[in-house]
Amino acid sequence: MIELRDLTKAYGTYLAVNRLNLRIAKGEIFGFIGPNGAGKTTTIKMMGGVLAPTEGSVTIAGVNMQAEPEKAKRKIGFIPDRPYLYEKLTGLEFMKFTADVYGVPESRFHERVAGILQMFSLADWSDELIESYSHGMKQRLIMAAALLHEPEVLIVDEPMVGLDPLAIIMVKDLFKRLAAEGVTIFMSTHTLKVAEDICDRIGVITRGRLIASGTTADLQREAHVTSADLEQVFLNLTGKS
Amino acid sequence: MDNSLIQDLKLLLRPRTMPVLTRGLTRSTRGGATRLLVLGAVGTVFWWGLFGICWRVLRYFHRIEDIGDLLAYKLLSMILIVSFALLLFSSILTSLSKLYLSRDLILVFSLPVAGYRIFIARWLDSTADSSWMVIVFTMPVFLAYGIVFGAGVAYYINTLLALTVLAVIASALSAILVMVGVMIVPATRMRSIVILLGVLLFVVLYLAIRLLRPEQLVNPEVFDSVLVYISSLQAPAAPFLPSTWAYNCIQAALTGTAWASIFHLVLAASFAAAMVCLLVLTADVLYFKGFSKTQTAAARVIRSSGLSDRLFRFLPAPVRSFTVKEIKTFLRDQTQWTQLFLIAALLVIYIYNFDALPLEKSPIQTVYLQNLFSFLNMGLALFVLTAVAARFAYPAVSLEREAFWLVRSAPLSLRAFLLIKFFIYYVPLLVLTEILIVVTNLLLKVTPFMMTLSTVTVFFLVPGIVAMGIGLGAAYPDFKAENPTQTVTSFGGLVFMIACAGYIGLVILLQAGPVYRLFMADLHGRPLSGATWLWTVAAFGAALALSILAIILPLRFGERRLSQVHI
Repeated sequence: MIELRDLTKAYGTYLAVNRLNLRIAKGEIFGFIGPNGAGKTTTIKMMGGVLAPTEGSVTIAGVNMQAEPEKAKRKIGFIPDRPYLYEKLTGLEFMKFTADVYGVPESRFHERVAGILQMFSLADWSDELIESYSHGMKQRLIMAAALLHEPEVLIVDEPMVGLDPLAIIMVKDLFKRLAAEGVTIFMSTHTLKVAEDICDRIGVITRGRLIASGTTADLQREAHVTSADLEQVFLNLTGKS
Repeated sequence: MDNSLIQDLKLLLRPRTMPVLTRGLTRSTRGGATRLLVLGAVGTVFWWGLFGICWRVLRYFHRIEDIGDLLAYKLLSMILIVSFALLLFSSILTSLSKLYLSRDLILVFSLPVAGYRIFIARWLDSTADSSWMVIVFTMPVFLAYGIVFGAGVAYYINTLLALTVLAVIASALSAILVMVGVMIVPATRMRSIVILLGVLLFVVLYLAIRLLRPEQLVNPEVFDSVLVYISSLQAPAAPFLPSTWAYNCIQAALTGTAWASIFHLVLAASFAAAMVCLLVLTADVLYFKGFSKTQTAAARVIRSSGLSDRLFRFLPAPVRSFTVKEIKTFLRDQTQWTQLFLIAALLVIYIYNFDALPLEKSPIQTVYLQNLFSFLNMGLALFVLTAVAARFAYPAVSLEREAFWLVRSAPLSLRAFLLIKFFIYYVPLLVLTEILIVVTNLLLKVTPFMMTLSTVTVFFLVPGIVAMGIGLGAAYPDFKAENPTQTVTSFGGLVFMIACAGYIGLVILLQAGPVYRLFMADLHGRPLSGATWLWTVAAFGAALALSILAIILPLRFGERRLSQVHI
């Protein structure tokens, strides 16, 4: 469902992402972890079509991002790490805007919007301007909007930032349910516990290179750790212990 | 150990002063040396231009016996009243921003520094920010006064001090008003109200002054007697106004009475000192309370009716989404409303000026003059359109701000995005310019030929100007600007204005010759030669080709540059 082939991003002589190769199957939840400045957000932006790679390719559900960007983007629900939105729109207006951009039919929009806003505890605020929302509410609104057009792929940068514990539990359950329904989820996170709890596979990136990927057990073997948690695995693999 | 007041103030002001001191003005200014150089050059030209105009006017007044100096002093009084009003208005807005709305205030208030010291630091910053431009750009006026009246060094020193004291008084008064106001109305809403009221007041005053035809004041025949005329000039300004104290100080310095000048300066300075004491006492009581109040969000007053969704139902979904979004965010942004009021007022005055033109008094044949004005009016109306496009079309892409990631991640090409922006602004600007042209032509009573020429020329030029605005705004976006409508003051904005001026000038030049021949032939009932027809077709053809290029090239350029922007 997602294929990254020799994906590279260079800023002058600095390689932010260096020949990244990954294949993620349909319905898989893939966690992307790494230290600050490792290249996680740069990778996510290239996958979402927000940043052009220097070399390599991104294929989303069989569609090449560079060749057919609009077609590829239609298959993606993109959730960035910082919730910058149109502050002068209400929550509902922003949902309608997103629905129209992604070509969601009006009848389908009306069927889904109330339920999605309720799920993200935004129904009571849907008629207020986004500028009056808290950081967490804005983050939830972006997630709600990303799910409106029923994407095949969800690309998420730091999904739990700004969410309260209840919302974190809700999002974890939601991601598992979506994956079971066949949605492929690619998420970057600093919260190793989250990656451990919900991800089928985890990739570890450092200095732009994917240094390990696999299940938690695979990573433990690779890090030569027998019974430690993901934190020790991460520290060993990134050479920070 | 507690810091002294001065130490705390230095610390709190360091984020403002340090970038300039350590990296210099060029590296701490966004856009760097190029931007600084260009803006500096424009500012210098404006400064010397203003000086030149003032010097000529004052020299003319100085040569008029008896009432010449009275006119000069009256003008000085008016300049100081207007400067004080500008300082007050500017200070209110800057105070609101610096004291209550700046993003760093949360961090600043978390520091172990007394609230009143935070206030003093912010107020000093606000005073400097709100007054430097008014002082710098009134200096040429006072320089002209000094040169024409042959004033000594004391005049220049006292003038600078008087202006500084005036700025302090305006800033202190504004800050007190703002602190009291914020206790009643939230700061964000208060800023919108102040801006709207300020603009409305300016519009009403401007319209009132223009409709009174002040040009008649220079014609003493309007007054029944010279004595009434002179008394009206001699009438003193209100004695309780700080601008009057500044005027008394400067006028005394101009006439060489140094001690009188110092006396009025000390008077004004003592008032400024008293205001500052009152300000600090008020801040100690109200500032933090007001800032806490500002942290709560204002409730929504007007709910949406869904009219724009229904109105644009016929558009394809992605186009509709951005169109509706653009209209809603435009109408809900108070800064856009203030610009609309200003532009509406300027357009009313523009049209009124045509009505007030004394064509019947002209020695040149009226029909010829009317149609000549119509031809020139075409260029003028397009320059007005350029100014309007600079405020609305040019910042259109920058208005996306940091939400631009939504555009990049959406299944919509950048080309489509720019075309949507283009059509959103093209339609209203075309309607506006055509109305302007038709109404002014009707007032000028032009021939049907000139009416057709004007309306058709404008119809073909408007898309080019709007495309240049959108395209160049996309090529030089500023997604981080606190006020994106100010982006037109950047390098890209300058390129836009110059490109539009060149484009309009070129089309007018291309048309001038053939239009003159056609008009004169029509006026005298003469047939046109084959060469003239050929020249006409070639010129209009070239103008049409230029118009097509003016639409395509800027949008392509903007698309290419925008695709390379990293967000």
